[in-house]
Amino acid sequence: MQANNIDRLKLATGLLLLVLLIVLTATRPRASVPAGREEVVFWHFWGGHDRRVVEEIVNRFNQSQDRHFVRAVAMPGNNLDMKMFLAVTGGDPPDLINQDDPIVADWAHRGALLPLDEIASPAEIEQLNGWLLPAARQLGSYQQRLYGLANGLDIRALYYNRTLIEQRSGQPAPRQLASIEQLDRLAEACVVEDPDGQPTALGFLPDPRRLWAWGVVFGGAFYDADTKRVTAADPANVEALQWMASYRHRFGPDNLAAFRQGDQSLPGKTFPLLAGRYAIVLDGQWRVRDIRAARQQQLEQGQPPTEYGVWQLPAPRGRQAAAEGWVNGNLFLVPRGCRNAAGSWEFMKFWSGFGGHEAEAARIASQGGWIPVSQQVMDHPLFVQYLEENPLFAEFVRLAAGRQVPTPVIPGARLYYRQLNQAAGRLLYSKQELSARELLEQTTRAVQQHLQRLERHDAGSAGGGS
Amino acid sequence: MMRALKRIPAGWWFISPWLLGLALLFIYPFVASLYWSFCRYDMLSAPRWIGTEHYQRIAAELWRGDGFGQALWNTAYFAALSVPLSIVLAVLLAVMLSWRVRGQVIFRTLFYLPAIIPLVASSILWMWLLNPTAGIVNHLLGWLGLAPQLWFNGIEEAASPSTLLSFGSKDALVLMSTWGVGNFMLIYLAALGDIPHQLYDAAELDGAGRFRRFRHLTLPMLSPLIFFNLVLGLIQSVQAFTQVYLVSEGTGEPIGSTLVLSLHLFLAAFQDLEMGYASAMAWLLFVILLIATALLFRWSRGWVHYRASLGG
Repeated sequence: MQANNIDRLKLATGLLLLVLLIVLTATRPRASVPAGREEVVFWHFWGGHDRRVVEEIVNRFNQSQDRHFVRAVAMPGNNLDMKMFLAVTGGDPPDLINQDDPIVADWAHRGALLPLDEIASPAEIEQLNGWLLPAARQLGSYQQRLYGLANGLDIRALYYNRTLIEQRSGQPAPRQLASIEQLDRLAEACVVEDPDGQPTALGFLPDPRRLWAWGVVFGGAFYDADTKRVTAADPANVEALQWMASYRHRFGPDNLAAFRQGDQSLPGKTFPLLAGRYAIVLDGQWRVRDIRAARQQQLEQGQPPTEYGVWQLPAPRGRQAAAEGWVNGNLFLVPRGCRNAAGSWEFMKFWSGFGGHEAEAARIASQGGWIPVSQQVMDHPLFVQYLEENPLFAEFVRLAAGRQVPTPVIPGARLYYRQLNQAAGRLLYSKQELSARELLEQTTRAVQQHLQRLERHDAGSAGGGS
Repeated sequence: MMRALKRIPAGWWFISPWLLGLALLFIYPFVASLYWSFCRYDMLSAPRWIGTEHYQRIAAELWRGDGFGQALWNTAYFAALSVPLSIVLAVLLAVMLSWRVRGQVIFRTLFYLPAIIPLVASSILWMWLLNPTAGIVNHLLGWLGLAPQLWFNGIEEAASPSTLLSFGSKDALVLMSTWGVGNFMLIYLAALGDIPHQLYDAAELDGAGRFRRFRHLTLPMLSPLIFFNLVLGLIQSVQAFTQVYLVSEGTGEPIGSTLVLSLHLFLAAFQDLEMGYASAMAWLLFVILLIATALLFRWSRGWVHYRASLGG
C-alpha cells in the first residue's frame, strides 16, 4: 500500500514537471544573443524578396551594435496585428513590431503602445517632428503625440501603358492628366469589346477601395478633427463616388464585378496592367519592380519593351487637385510592456534614417524599393542616384512629399475603412440604383456611433475612477 | 497536505491535464463571455458593466438588417441551403456507392478523397473553379448555353425571388460545402451495410420496386443518422469560418454578402476591439443553435425511426 502511494507521488511529480517544462519552453524561446547585449524581438510581416532585405538590415544593425541585438520574426500574412494584440493582452509582447494597418489610434487610445516621447528625449522628439514628412508624421500621430515611426510610405498613382494607349487612342499619351474627364476619355478609347459587346480589355476601372484617394483629390475630407465628426458624406466624397459609379453605368455592375474578379485568376497575381487587361491602373510604388522585371524579360526575348508611365491622380476639370492622394505606410510600434524599448528605438532610427542614419536609410530604401519618410533621406546622393535609374519610382517619391492624406487616425479606423469600402462597393456592384450620398451617410452614422460608444466608455471609466 | 494528496485516486491525476484544460480553456471563457456580453470590454482595460446595451444594439441591427442582422441572414441562407444539400447528396452517393459494380472501391475512394483535403487548399481550388472569367464552371455553363455567374464576386442569391437562379458568393460557398460530403457519405455507407437484407427481400416479395424500397425502407433505416448529420451539419454551417475568411480575404466582401456570423464576430472582437459586443453575439448564436436543435429534436419524433422502435 505504501509503495503504491509512493508511485502516485512520483507520477504526480512527473506530471507537474512535464507541464512546467512545456510552459517554460513555450513562453521563453531561446535565442543566441551575444554576451553583454540585450535582445530586441522584432515582429514584421515581410516575406519573399522583402524578407531577405529585412534580414540584411537586421544583420547590418547587429554588426553596428555593442548594446542591442535584434531578432527578427517574420509573420507574413494579414494577421500580424491580431497576434500582436493577443501578445499584449497576454502580457508577453515583442519589443518592436512593424505593420501597415490603420491601428495606431485604436491601440494608442487603449494604452497598448508606448508613445515615442516615453522612449526618446524631448529634444529628439522635437527634431523628429521636423524631420519627418507630413504624411509620415500624421500616420504615426494620435492626439498630438507620436506613437509610431514610419519607415516607408505607400503612395498610389495611375500607372499607364503608354504603348497600348497610343495604339488604341491613336494619339500620344499625355505627360500628366489635366482632368478626370481626360482620364475618362482615354479610358474609353482603350476599351476592347467582343462581338457580343462584352469588354475583354478596359481602359480603366475604379476600385471601390480607393474612394479614400479619389475623395481627397476631389477636395473631400473623411474626418473633421476640430469637431470630432466623421465626414464620409462630404460633398466632394459624394462627387468622387458618383464619378466612380459612372463606370458602372457604362459597363453594367455584373461586367464590372466579373472583370475585377478576373484579375484574381492571373498567374501569381500578376499586375493586371502587365497582362494588358487595363491600359491604366491605380496602384502603389511597389509595382515599379514588376514593370522593371517585365521589361527586362521582353528585352531578353528580343522584343521591344512596352513603355509605361505614371500619372498623378487628376481632379475634375477646372479644379486643382486638393491633395496628391491617399497614403498609408509601414510603421514601427513599440508595445507597452516590452522588455527593451531603448533597443527598439535604436533600431527604428537605424532603419528610418533619423539621428544621422540617413545614408543607411537611403541604402535600405534603394534595396527594398521603399519610399523614405524624410526629405533628408530622399536628398541623400545614394537615393538620388537610385531615383535617376528608376524614373517611374521617382514620380512616386515626388508625390510623397506633397499633400498625402491617410485614413483618419481615430479609434475605429479599421471599421471606417471596411464600412467605406463596402459603401463604395455596394454602389459600384449592386444591381439596384443606390444613392452615393445615402450610402456615405450610412457609413458616417455607423462610424460616428462607434466613436460615441467609445466616448461613453471613456467617460464611464473616468467616472468610475478606474 | 501530503496525506490528502495521497488519498486522491490515480485516475484523477491521469485525467487532471485534461480537466485543467477544460476548466481554463473552455469553462472559464464560456462563463466569462456571458459576463463580458454585458460589459464594454476591449481586452486591454478592465471590463465595465453596461447592462444590456450590446443586446439592444444587436436588436437594432436585426431591425435595420445591417451588422448582426446582415450576418444572421447570410448565415441562415448558407445553413438552409448547404445542410439539406449535403445530406441529400451524401445519401444519394452512399446508395450509389453501395451498389456492387466494378471499381466500387475506387469510386468510394474518389468520392471520399475531397473530405480529407485541407479546407484552405480546397477553398483556393474553388476560387479558381468559380472564377467568373477564367473558371471552368462558367465555361461549362457557357457550353450548355447557360449564362455565366458571378459566384464569389456576386451579391445575388440564387434562392431569393428577386435574383432567382443568379448565383452569387453565398451560393458559391454552398457549392463549396458540398465538396466535403465524404464524411457524411461514409457514415451512411456504413449504415447501409447494417440494414438487414431480409427486409429488402420481404419488401421485394411484397412487390415493392427500387424507389419504394428506398423510400419506405432505406430512408427510415437511415433516419437516425440523417438526423444526426442534420444537427451536426447545422452546427458546423453556423460556425463556418475558414472558407469564408479565405474567399473574402477576411472582409465579408463583396458588399457584406459573405459576412457570416462567425466572421462578423471575429472582426468585432479582434479588429474593432469590441469583445463585449462579440461575446453578446456569441451567446445569441449559442441560444439560436440551442433553440434550433431543440426544434429539430421535436420535429424528429415524426420521422426518425430508431431500430428499437422498429423491432418493438
